[in-house]
Amino acid sequence: MDYIKKDLGSFNLHMINTEKFKTITIKILFHTPIIKEEITKRNVLADVLLQSSNKYNSKRDLIIAAEELYAADISTNNQRLGNYILTSFNLQTLMDKYTEEGNVEKSFRFLSEILFNPDIENKQFKKDKLDIAKNNSLMALDSIKENATNYSLIRMAETFDKDSPVSYRMTGYPEDLDMITEKTLYEAYQKMINNDYVDIFVVGNFDKKEMLALVKKCFKFKRVKKRKASYYLKEHKARKKRLFAKEEIDNTQSKLAIACPINKLTEYERNYPLILANLILGGGVDSKLFKDVREKNSLCYTVRSFSNKLDSLLVITAGIDKNNYSKTVEVITRILNDLKKGKFTDNDIEIAKEFYYTSIEELEEDEYRIIVEFMMEEILGLDPIVERLKKISKVNKKEIVKVFKKITMDTVFLLEGVKNEED
Amino acid sequence: MKKISLSHLDRECYVETLNNGLEVFMIPLLDKKNYFISYATRFGSDILEFSNDKTKYKPPLGIAHFLEHKMFEQEDGIDPFTYFSKSGTDSNASTSFDNTQYICFGTKNFNDNLEYLLKFVNNPYYTDDNVNKEKGIIAEEINMYEDIPDFKLEMKLRECLYHKHPRRLDIAGTVEEINKITKEDLYACYNNFYIPNNMFILIVGNFSKEEANKIIKEQLNSKEKVDLPTIKNVVEPVSVKTKELTVKSNIELPKTALGLKVSTKNFKESDLELDLYLNMLTVILFGASSLFREKVRNNKLLSNIYTEWESIDNFKTFYLMASSPEPNKLIEEVKDVLKNVSLDEKTFERIKKVWIANEVKIYDNVDLTVNNTYDDILKYNEIIPNRIDIIKKMKFKKLQEIVSKIDFNNISIVKMLNK
Repeated sequence: MDYIKKDLGSFNLHMINTEKFKTITIKILFHTPIIKEEITKRNVLADVLLQSSNKYNSKRDLIIAAEELYAADISTNNQRLGNYILTSFNLQTLMDKYTEEGNVEKSFRFLSEILFNPDIENKQFKKDKLDIAKNNSLMALDSIKENATNYSLIRMAETFDKDSPVSYRMTGYPEDLDMITEKTLYEAYQKMINNDYVDIFVVGNFDKKEMLALVKKCFKFKRVKKRKASYYLKEHKARKKRLFAKEEIDNTQSKLAIACPINKLTEYERNYPLILANLILGGGVDSKLFKDVREKNSLCYTVRSFSNKLDSLLVITAGIDKNNYSKTVEVITRILNDLKKGKFTDNDIEIAKEFYYTSIEELEEDEYRIIVEFMMEEILGLDPIVERLKKISKVNKKEIVKVFKKITMDTVFLLEGVKNEED
Repeated sequence: MKKISLSHLDRECYVETLNNGLEVFMIPLLDKKNYFISYATRFGSDILEFSNDKTKYKPPLGIAHFLEHKMFEQEDGIDPFTYFSKSGTDSNASTSFDNTQYICFGTKNFNDNLEYLLKFVNNPYYTDDNVNKEKGIIAEEINMYEDIPDFKLEMKLRECLYHKHPRRLDIAGTVEEINKITKEDLYACYNNFYIPNNMFILIVGNFSKEEANKIIKEQLNSKEKVDLPTIKNVVEPVSVKTKELTVKSNIELPKTALGLKVSTKNFKESDLELDLYLNMLTVILFGASSLFREKVRNNKLLSNIYTEWESIDNFKTFYLMASSPEPNKLIEEVKDVLKNVSLDEKTFERIKKVWIANEVKIYDNVDLTVNNTYDDILKYNEIIPNRIDIIKKMKFKKLQEIVSKIDFNNISIVKMLNK
């Protein structure tokens, strides 16, 4: 894998050259500091841009065009990364070698058409297309409780700290949806194209000079922009006393979600010992949570933890019977306390390291994971992969214990399954 | 090992059937770093009753899935998850209607992991204690699925489509049934279905085929072929059981589903050919670039949609499941499409192009290759080395001919509304 970054003034181009794939993958990434009230609009904007364009007047025309490019795969999504919202437009298409001369160029032009030539009149998006996208958003909002685990995580975060971006709902909010008009959406579009910070990533087997020329030709952004705010969220102070909260849901199973803020992490701890600490606690089927809560105590089918270094937060989640609520919290508390006391073995650390090495090796097989890696290196200034492998191999038990000691169980949220009668 | 070239894909598959009947499929992708191993048995929730010359068995529902969980219990006390973890290798297992598979995937320690996977699946260890311990875990798994509205919708549709076939039952069984399971039930199923002539191995990715072959033979050559038990088959009527059903659930956005049950007795095509044409039909009618989708999108009738064909003996069944603010209107649109099937050759040719491109993408990725090949082995009992050629040769006329033989009135409809 060969990586080159080009500063093209109005955006950075990251070219990752590898012979591994028969496809070329491009991701255009817009970054801007997240504002709660703007999330819904951002979702609708991404959807509207994929509903039609100036050249393709309907979503059907647009999909047919993609199919004609040998099933070029186009998608968009919004995600929060610390203090920022990242909107990406992705395209994956087969190389010319496996299709026909010019397929990649035509595919890039197709993406360019979608981004720079939207379906507008009088500096406004069209009402019919906006209505479709707004309705899509509304339906997604209406289905929010269908994935009970996700919903419990949202409610847990809101209970934990309702003012922090960790609690922002990425599905958006119905009240913001009502406010979006053809005109305000076009203004949001202009703002994204002209003011957001842009990175373009390309992965695949290509000639770098030709790729540079092609990207320059297809994607023209006008202004040079600088990143302003930090990506890292402000640390959360843990409450003096644990907060317990409950909400009922008309389900059989209950979902437990626990927020654990992590305080005073050093940059080194964020990038190395924290990863291992999480793997040991609840990263997989060999973790303490899985072995103890599920295998030893038969309290659940799913239990896991994940850490977010940008948010300085560790989250534990489990699907349980509500009658086992107290016992589950008790077992999890004991597990975390034991880890703080260093009750884990060198073997546990070795296993966590092996999983880390495997995940790094495997990422080379997935175009989008490769992009995420280079994106994180770019915006967070992470060490390059080779350096990271070296550093993780040297992490010792003392360093991991130190991280465990910085983790506090703060908000224990139960989405309590209370089954009502059905027809 | 027999070498089979996968045409137009620069890939090869190596196939062998051992003397005891175990089938081995290997697709080396040496340009990748990772590998994926699956050791599978054709035993799933479809088998409800069976007998060998000595005894008749009718184990509790959900036994195949329960057995899968309990395979991870080993007499030496070593947990297979832990064993694989030593080399940073992930492992898992899954049970379906017609198969159960044990998998491991990673980048390191291939030979050792392959040997261990075969060993642990060949060594059942069930005790009253470890069987009882699992009941709480599986009950939570069943409860988790019951809370997923899409899962419930599918189960309701299955109950409407089938009169007797086990596809109308949940793979995991019910909490009541699994609580009846004993270690004797598990051994009976294991001894009858985890036998070489009912199992296969599929390996894809970066590994040495010679070494893999050697390990497989060392581990499994000595296992003896055993007569498969007689499985009690059900005779499933051609008609659907229930035409229409409305249920209430804890959802805000309603859902609706339609199932089309097609008897295969009127078709002379091979199973693969029939599958391709039926898929083509529903992609043209309901796929992303269909006129139907454009219409329901413009009328704001559709949130998301999922379609799939299922194969069982003598039937192909089409499932369409969707969320919609107006389920009645949406289902009328779906019925309308089926009543007036309209196909055009230009679309047919475009979809062929899409499928061929997708084949190239599939064999560029270890996981996708595994999924694709695994399905082929289960459905067709072999790998399909020339699928691109078969797709290229598909004829529009043939599609029309097949469509003319389908009874589009043999449908079930389920509506799921909020309480």
